[in-house]
Amino acid sequence: MLLFVSQDAHEFLIFLLNELVDILEKEVQAAKDDTESSSLPPERTTNGSKVTQADDIHKEPLVTWVHKKFQGILTNETRCLRCETVTARDEIFLDLSLDIEQNSSITSCLKNFSSIETLNADDKFFCDKCCSLQEAQKRMKIKKPPQILVIQLKRFNYIEQLGRNKKLSYRVAFPLELKLIDYVEEADAVYSLFAVVVHMGSGSSHGHYVSLIKSHHHWLFFDDENVEMIDESAVQTFFGSAQEYSSNTDHGYILFYERDVTNNHD
Amino acid sequence: MINSSNGMMSASSSSSAAGAGGNAPSPGLKTYFKAPEGRYKLHYEKGHPSGLMHYVQGKTATQATVAIVKDKPSPPTPLSQPSSGFSASSGVKSAAAKLLGGSNGSRTFGFVGGNGGSKNLSGSSKLGPFSSNSTNSNLALNFDGKGTYLIFNMGDGLFISDLNSQDKEPMKAIYFNNVYPVCHAFDQDAKDGHDLLIGLSTGDVYSVSLGQQLQDSGKKLVGAQHYNKDGSVNNSRCTCISWVPGGDGAFVVAHADGNMYVYEKSKEGAGDSSFPAIKDPTQFSIAHARHSKSNPITRWHTCQGSINGIAFSSDGTHLATVGRDGYLRVFDYPKEELICGGKSYYGALLCCAWSADGKYILAGGEDDLVQIWSMDDKKVVAWGEGHNSWVSGVAFDSSWSPPDTENSEQIVYRFGSVGQDTQLLLWDLQMEEIVVPQRRPPGGSPTFSSGSQTAQWDNATPLGTLQSAPSMRDIPKISPLVIHRVHTEPLSGLIFTEESILTVCREGHTKVWMRPGTPASQGSSNSETPLSTSLKDKPLLSSIK
Ligand SMILES: [Zn+2]
Repeated sequence: MLLFVSQDAHEFLIFLLNELVDILEKEVQAAKDDTESSSLPPERTTNGSKVTQADDIHKEPLVTWVHKKFQGILTNETRCLRCETVTARDEIFLDLSLDIEQNSSITSCLKNFSSIETLNADDKFFCDKCCSLQEAQKRMKIKKPPQILVIQLKRFNYIEQLGRNKKLSYRVAFPLELKLIDYVEEADAVYSLFAVVVHMGSGSSHGHYVSLIKSHHHWLFFDDENVEMIDESAVQTFFGSAQEYSSNTDHGYILFYERDVTNNHD
Repeated sequence: MINSSNGMMSASSSSSAAGAGGNAPSPGLKTYFKAPEGRYKLHYEKGHPSGLMHYVQGKTATQATVAIVKDKPSPPTPLSQPSSGFSASSGVKSAAAKLLGGSNGSRTFGFVGGNGGSKNLSGSSKLGPFSSNSTNSNLALNFDGKGTYLIFNMGDGLFISDLNSQDKEPMKAIYFNNVYPVCHAFDQDAKDGHDLLIGLSTGDVYSVSLGQQLQDSGKKLVGAQHYNKDGSVNNSRCTCISWVPGGDGAFVVAHADGNMYVYEKSKEGAGDSSFPAIKDPTQFSIAHARHSKSNPITRWHTCQGSINGIAFSSDGTHLATVGRDGYLRVFDYPKEELICGGKSYYGALLCCAWSADGKYILAGGEDDLVQIWSMDDKKVVAWGEGHNSWVSGVAFDSSWSPPDTENSEQIVYRFGSVGQDTQLLLWDLQMEEIVVPQRRPPGGSPTFSSGSQTAQWDNATPLGTLQSAPSMRDIPKISPLVIHRVHTEPLSGLIFTEESILTVCREGHTKVWMRPGTPASQGSSNSETPLSTSLKDKPLLSSIK
């Protein structure tokens, strides 16, 4: 797979999560093999003791803590404009990658993400009921919001004319508190921002990553081995540049929001 | 194996879905916009002196104040503090000379200066050759400075522009040297000389006479009274400042730590200004100064985190605050009581404003919504949806009157909002037309009733209860009449004047949009040609592969 940036932080995150799932699955499998092939007495616990229900896991797909923390469900709804049939397809996701616009907000990017898109011309939809290509309306809904919402801002876009990726320095405001409409529980999910991966540099193939992490009610700025405390209001300085040519090259790239369970009134 | 949603997302979040007012990468700013009542036209722009900034960029967001200086029947009373820094010799009228043009041209303010072109007047920093130490207090007494001024901060400077002049550069610049003026307020009915308040990033506060600043040729604040010196009472950043309407020189300063202080300008700031410790920082509390000589006289602890905006109702009986915690709070100011309030949909609230009749409050913030709070219903009655980023300024247009309608008894409000999306939005609020979806009966579809009939919902709420965030389904939405991209930088404020709408961007630029029907809006100073091509520019960027 081609990397968008020489060492893209988002690529790495996805790699890491997948690798974790792999390891966890192998661990469970090994533990299961162990208990199945072993003639050891049951009271002797092993390292894999947390997986006691090995038989159940064998039947159902394994739900690791990676899934529990990061996985959400999207519904891709397509409505055929001829027969009005709605086709809904659920998809799981570990993160959302959002197109960005200059001087916008995460709220606005999410709105665009879930906005209705019309499929027509060369991009028609094959309707099973009509048995033909038809014009249709498509919409992405977040059906089940994840525990940890990871948002990647698509700052590295491929420019055909240039034949390479270009970094978009757009200013995208991200609030400390965010909501997603929860279609399952009918109560909107409240999220709090707790970490930001910042890309520094003007190009897409070079630069430097730093991160902002909220720990014990304080925001910390991590730059390699240097860690310093910053004021909450300084988070805003990583929104991006309101104008294309700006000396500010430090831009929020990956946002981590955690669902707030205490703030879940009615 | 889990797949990242990455690839899958690209298709559905293509920027083609951006909708109205999408921000094209290249600026396509038009010099007019159309509203139902006619065409608003860009009359001129006001900025800070060129070649300033950059190193100060992003430190502060510009706020703007319009100061209408009326004829003053009696000369300003000299203040308790000697006007030590006061300057302007008889030959040096500097910027003040220009102000008198038109109304009081016969006064003795002939402009004297080596290179007396009008250009010289803009930016007092250029008045260096003039001596600035000789005093002539008679001049102050004669000065009336009648006119309309735009006061705004940018970096460590405070700037004053003549709003009736086309000059882009300000006529007066005052520098604070490495501290930042962040908020200001003007009292056009001030009884004695001090009519302008300035709050700093250090928490310090000054009151001064605007006229006196305009006469002075230096770059420093002159004749100022200093409060909260070196942050001795509160060293957190000032966030907003306001005179108390009808408050006889009382004013309120809000800080980034959730406290507000009431000062009296006539009172010397001497003596012990200590307040009891705040027992519960999560609760609203009032504390009066321990000593009678203290100035500030009262501390209002309103919330945790920054207070981002305050606004008095025009009669001074109510005070609204918004802040970091996302709550709008409404206080009975004379009684020092919290009456009501509520949470944003999410995120901090950044700005608030009252309708002239005190019935509605607008609040805007980080959920991109303009919320309309009804004082009768004590709740949010509508959300204005239309901004693509945080809402940074809201205001009712008190000069606006609805076009001739058959049912003239129906009250319609016009208001505006500006956001970090660089857009100005205009809205009409007509409560009878707003349909409030009621709480859904389980499993049923929403039922509807007219807005005025739903008031009984929360009447049982005890005084001072703050409402939690409403659900998206429970609040009716209204759409803007006008969406106009006015600047290239995020906006920080808007002001309605009788003749115009002023839009202010964070980086210190103000645009003056003349109302339809005003002489200037029909003039020819600006052609109707857009400054550059329209918003139809095709996006250069293709989506990720
Ligand atoms: Zn069909």
